Amino acid sequence: MKMSGQGEPNTTRSPGWFDRLRHQGAIHQIVRYVVSIILLLACWEIASLIITAVKGRALLPDPYHAMSEVVRLAPILFRHFWVSAWRLVLAMLLAFSTGYPLGLLIGHERKLDEIISPIIYIVYPIPQVAFILLLFLVFGIGNPVKVAIVAVALFFQILVSARGAAKLIDQEHLTSVLSVGASRWQVYRHVVLPATLPSILTSLRVSVGLGMAFLYIAETTATMAPGLGSFVKSSQFNQAQAFAGILMMAFLGLILYIMIDVLERVLCRWKYVRGRGS
Amino acid sequence: MIRIDDVSIAYGRGPRRVLAVDRIRLEMDQGSSLALIGPSGCGKSTLLFSIAGLLKPCEGTISIHDQPVVRPRRDVALILQNAGLLPWKTVWQNANLSLRLGKEPRDKTAAGVLRELGLYDVRDRFPSELSEGMKRRVGIARALSTSPSVMLMDEPLASLDTLTRERIQDLFLRLWHKHGFSLLVVTHDIEEAAFLGQRIIVLSDLPASVKTVVENPHMGDLAFRRSDTFYNTVASLREALAE
Repeated sequence: MKMSGQGEPNTTRSPGWFDRLRHQGAIHQIVRYVVSIILLLACWEIASLIITAVKGRALLPDPYHAMSEVVRLAPILFRHFWVSAWRLVLAMLLAFSTGYPLGLLIGHERKLDEIISPIIYIVYPIPQVAFILLLFLVFGIGNPVKVAIVAVALFFQILVSARGAAKLIDQEHLTSVLSVGASRWQVYRHVVLPATLPSILTSLRVSVGLGMAFLYIAETTATMAPGLGSFVKSSQFNQAQAFAGILMMAFLGLILYIMIDVLERVLCRWKYVRGRGS
Repeated sequence: MIRIDDVSIAYGRGPRRVLAVDRIRLEMDQGSSLALIGPSGCGKSTLLFSIAGLLKPCEGTISIHDQPVVRPRRDVALILQNAGLLPWKTVWQNANLSLRLGKEPRDKTAAGVLRELGLYDVRDRFPSELSEGMKRRVGIARALSTSPSVMLMDEPLASLDTLTRERIQDLFLRLWHKHGFSLLVVTHDIEEAAFLGQRIIVLSDLPASVKTVVENPHMGDLAFRRSDTFYNTVASLREALAE
């Protein structure tokens, strides 16, 4: 009878990078992205053909031409890309670091909610575009105003989401820590923050799209300083070039979405375990 | 010893004021067990939360070991309906939560209790990876981690299947004998009250007041569930609730 013992080769190998990726569902994720991009390009191509056939002119450039422009203008495009990227990321960080804690406080502290919520109900429905002139007057026409326009728009979005998420916390979770004498800070640290994190990250995903729209407005209003918005606007008579800029905007959005997904996997690990059920 | 002196508890103010508990008076010796039973929404959990120091009575006083209860105490543990586990913490973190929040020394952990309850091997799992029965045991582990002198339970086995419920009731009984804490369980399950309560207080509908007290001196044995006395106690509780 064969006995296992010293010197016997180990038949179980440690998982390689491919196995680890497969286990984490990353391969599946990559395949989904590739299929989505192919589908999107196909729709774009069809739309371009239809518009050209109907209007008799290539108003919507086809994907090949737009991507050729991306390759041709790569050095210029990436310069604009980095400027827009840091403006958007900085604005998101500013909005998150102010809107999230304030939203949690308002949502969790009843008295604060009674005082501040009416103010939010009045200010939130006002289109944030209405504040642009005021922001230009306060911050001038440089980079600060561009960041401020996006940050103000996202601040309210995140504030309202955080307030809502804090109000929906399961009372049993709060009771379980209060019953052992948790301090106010401990309640925030152990319950309020982790319980609201998934909703806030979802809100942050929504903010990417909203932030991009406001960044375009900020970058095309009053000045034509570097940035993808101003690049697209300045290319309005060269549609292939304009679409190269739009593609870079989509790329920036995609990178931010992926970063938020990764952040969620790290911070909300409990959401990604396989449930056993009852 | 737990002493409840003419305690009334109300919610809300003005015209929205609802009296949940009306002048309840009862005493409980250290190491004894008591079950509070009554219809759903009658105010029994409200009374339990007051004993836990989470709600302030509008009249009367509650004292534990001759000290008035004004806030949650370190020697009183509360087990909630769904175990009160935090989904974002692992079994280990949940079981040690009371110790960490109480700023106990870092070397004091719930490892022993987790081993006792057969949960040590799943300490790195999240609650969503556990069965309902295991979740309840983690809740018990957290409650036991601070070696409480009083264990309060708010319908701790609601929504469990019959077999799992009986298994955990057996576990409660074993732990009660072993650790010697006072056990106060709030339930709307007649059999649970008859199995776990040395004394069973039947509460009236809202506002809760003491309707009947049923003494149950023969409980305390796992085999009690199959005895005639158990069935007689269940029958008298059923009658008292229906009155």
